[in-house]
Amino acid sequence: MVNLTIDDKQVTAPKNATIYDAAKLNGIKIPILCHDSKLKPFGACRMCLVEVEQMKGRQIPACTTPITEGMIIRTATPDIIKARKMVLELLLLNHPIDCPVCDKAGDCDLQNLTYEYEVNANRFADAKFNHVIDYNNPLIERDMNRCVLCGKCARICDEIVSFGALTFMDRGIETKIACEFEAPLNCEFCGSCVSVCPVGSLLARPFKFKARFWALTNQKTVCSYCGTGCNLTLGVKDNKVLTTVYDENQGFHKGQLCCRGRFGYQFINSERRLTTPLVRKNGTLVETTWDEAIEVIAAKMKTAGASTAALATPRITNEELILFKELMETVGSNNYDHSAGYAHAALTKGFVQSLGVAASPASILDVQKTDLLLVIKTDTYETHPVVGFEINMAVKNKEVKLNILSDKRGKLSKLPNAKTLIHVPGTEIAVINALAKVIVDEKLADGTAASVPGFAELEKALAAFTPDAVAAQCGLTAADIKQLATDYAKAEKALILFPVGLPYPGHNEDLASALANLAILTGKLGKEGCGVLCMAEKNNSQGAVDMGFYSTAGMDAGKIIDGCASGSVKTLFIAGENPVVSYPDHTKIAAALDKVDFLVVADLFMTETAAMADVVLPACSFAEKEGTFTSVDRRVQHIKPAIRKIGQCRSDFEIFGALITKLGGKPSATPAKTFEAISSSVAGYAGMSYASLGETGAYAAVSVKPSFVVPKTMSLASESGKLALVTGSALYHSGTMSQYGEGPMYVCPEGYVELSRNDASKMKIAENDLVIVTSSKGSIKLKAKISMRMPQGVLFAPYHFSETSINRICSGAPVTWVSLSK
Amino acid sequence: MNPITPIVHGLKITLSHLFMKPVTLQYPDERPKVAERFRGLHALKVSHNNAKCVACYLCPTVCPAKCITVEAGEDANHNKYAAKYEIDMLRCIFCGYCVEACPVDAIKMTGEFELANYSRDNFIYTKERLLEK
Repeated sequence: MVNLTIDDKQVTAPKNATIYDAAKLNGIKIPILCHDSKLKPFGACRMCLVEVEQMKGRQIPACTTPITEGMIIRTATPDIIKARKMVLELLLLNHPIDCPVCDKAGDCDLQNLTYEYEVNANRFADAKFNHVIDYNNPLIERDMNRCVLCGKCARICDEIVSFGALTFMDRGIETKIACEFEAPLNCEFCGSCVSVCPVGSLLARPFKFKARFWALTNQKTVCSYCGTGCNLTLGVKDNKVLTTVYDENQGFHKGQLCCRGRFGYQFINSERRLTTPLVRKNGTLVETTWDEAIEVIAAKMKTAGASTAALATPRITNEELILFKELMETVGSNNYDHSAGYAHAALTKGFVQSLGVAASPASILDVQKTDLLLVIKTDTYETHPVVGFEINMAVKNKEVKLNILSDKRGKLSKLPNAKTLIHVPGTEIAVINALAKVIVDEKLADGTAASVPGFAELEKALAAFTPDAVAAQCGLTAADIKQLATDYAKAEKALILFPVGLPYPGHNEDLASALANLAILTGKLGKEGCGVLCMAEKNNSQGAVDMGFYSTAGMDAGKIIDGCASGSVKTLFIAGENPVVSYPDHTKIAAALDKVDFLVVADLFMTETAAMADVVLPACSFAEKEGTFTSVDRRVQHIKPAIRKIGQCRSDFEIFGALITKLGGKPSATPAKTFEAISSSVAGYAGMSYASLGETGAYAAVSVKPSFVVPKTMSLASESGKLALVTGSALYHSGTMSQYGEGPMYVCPEGYVELSRNDASKMKIAENDLVIVTSSKGSIKLKAKISMRMPQGVLFAPYHFSETSINRICSGAPVTWVSLSK
Repeated sequence: MNPITPIVHGLKITLSHLFMKPVTLQYPDERPKVAERFRGLHALKVSHNNAKCVACYLCPTVCPAKCITVEAGEDANHNKYAAKYEIDMLRCIFCGYCVEACPVDAIKMTGEFELANYSRDNFIYTKERLLEK
């Protein structure tokens, strides 16, 4: 710590702080336009000028000057105020001052400073700019006339997002922020640039002219898309969520969000939301009352008894999942599951066997603290974009070595010094076993490894996985495998990341065990910056596992679907899931749900599954209810309602509560009461309460008991002349819910199939051509997208879309063999 | 004091008024002359056949009676305009803050004070009714 004096106040600050940081840390405000805590110091705006006595009273920028011991700083002398006023006058010289029509007014740093420094006249005069405003994309409007050239947008796009869409262009008075060759903006639309813009140069178009910032009520909450658990501030007016508001102090990610988090909120107040309960009478769904709906469901559940089954989405809160379980216990059934029964297997089976706990022994914060990252599938960026940003920052700022083991390249492969090993789809477990084999053979294993139970069996099982043997089948070279194994084992700290979810049937318990073996072998477990992070797909996937909402004694999701078809499941209650679109093997699922006696669906929208139901209940979105979500690294966070319930919607908590009461049980009265029960019964949650979670949440501890498990490899029956189709998540979407968020749908409105240039030219397929993808299950028409990232012979398709559901041709195998035709 | 004196004094004032010009206006036969700065019914100023209002929301923000409802819209040229501009005259207290707050001089208050009406709905002045004639 360094001692210094700021405005006659004795303060201390860390050694690497700048004057601006030190002042901010000690509650002294220095005005600034070009600073964001996430970005490197830049010194563009000259608003933060201060005087330092040791520097002979010169005016120096606070944001780029490091502090030294004994510095005496003054931040607001008359001279400085005069200088700042002139800076503002110069900034306002070319600024159009169109505050009445500028959406930034009220939240504009330039406006606030102009007001604060009472700059109400300008001694200078100059012509205003007349740049063309970029309206070419539906999400971000770029008006360079208002720009003050702070460079924050260009820097955040480069430093954190690593896209580099924006940059300074031209020199001197002509300088402006532009895209390459002055082309329209066409990027991944995360909106980070919009969030940091201090003026109205970059604006969110979905929110344009909707409301003024001062009219919004801000409600802090947690994003309901992926499992990263990003903190979010919703801007609410008249019971409508109108926007997401940037708060640079929020969460581990400091307000940084992805496209769906920032622009995908429209589903909350969508016109398409269900608002009344519906019941099927004479073949059509008609409006009904809650009382009638509850009565019908309770009666059906009672008669079905043990042949009742439940599927829940891991998007509902922990409290609701617990209550759903209670409901199933009340009817005497233990058939409940989520995420098709396989998307959580890495945690509930893999990690349970290998680590003795159904949770990841690492946190997202470890990404920045490690020395080496091993990322399985580049999709890590697509499934959890904010974790992707953390990886970008770790690689670029902390020089973390990035190794990627994937069946295709991705954005992460473009990072500096990233090593991407492209293997044949479906061979990842074999490759990981080969890595383990190298570690054992080359004596790179940690001293403690041999004493971990199962070591001998693993060593024996690994015999078949020599680098040469594996290299032959997976398309890598033995040298690559050896190098990666050595790098991983020799790194002081190393972290493994892998995504799991509905589109990743291959990311199962065996992959989790294989990866856990690597970490246990090298002793990279239970230390800072080490471990294996299983990145589950949905916002509360980890919570659903923690709450035990998966089959232990009863049927799992697969068996429930089979049971529906065979008649052993009489009543099926689906809360929030949309199996018809998101579960593999569309034909089978649709037939099974058609066959089941009685289907209840509680959802926000009339999904394809809800359309088949006998009773449809309108549920609440995350913005209308209270509860907790648990992120992938087991951060438990409390959410509070931002708006009143829409129409007659009821939260799943109320629905399950009403049903339990109807069936003669005694449900918990409030989510808070349920959470008390959770904190006393769920391992790791002890001592938590809504009050103690606060705004930041709390980590549930993960205690690990390692043992080696021999993972099964997938048998790959490759079919000659056919292409390997792998499914996954698109960057802009999460599950099927993001289809109802306008932002993501503007950017990525429909399904597509991505193929390599070589395949495309061989088959004479051009970009956006409609191609027919045929598998043994059926065929589907998709738009072709030609990209450099796909290896030859491999296709990629996202799974989110109802109309072009890839699950029509996928059966749940890790790789689907397909043929393409025009 | 003589009890008659105050009565005489009072009658004197009354009598003097008999010879003054009457204050009472024979409304509606006689019309009052409205002062230039009188704060009556609002009007939205028009320029180039369009309302000058840019829907900046400053008037609903400053309005102490919360009687102004503005909804902004984006026209074909991406410019901001008031897609909806309504004043609830039953709530309005005619303070004139809206006129004062307007950064583009788009709203004024006219001398119009005869605002009586038969139904409550008619007191909601929409943009069309408020446009300067």
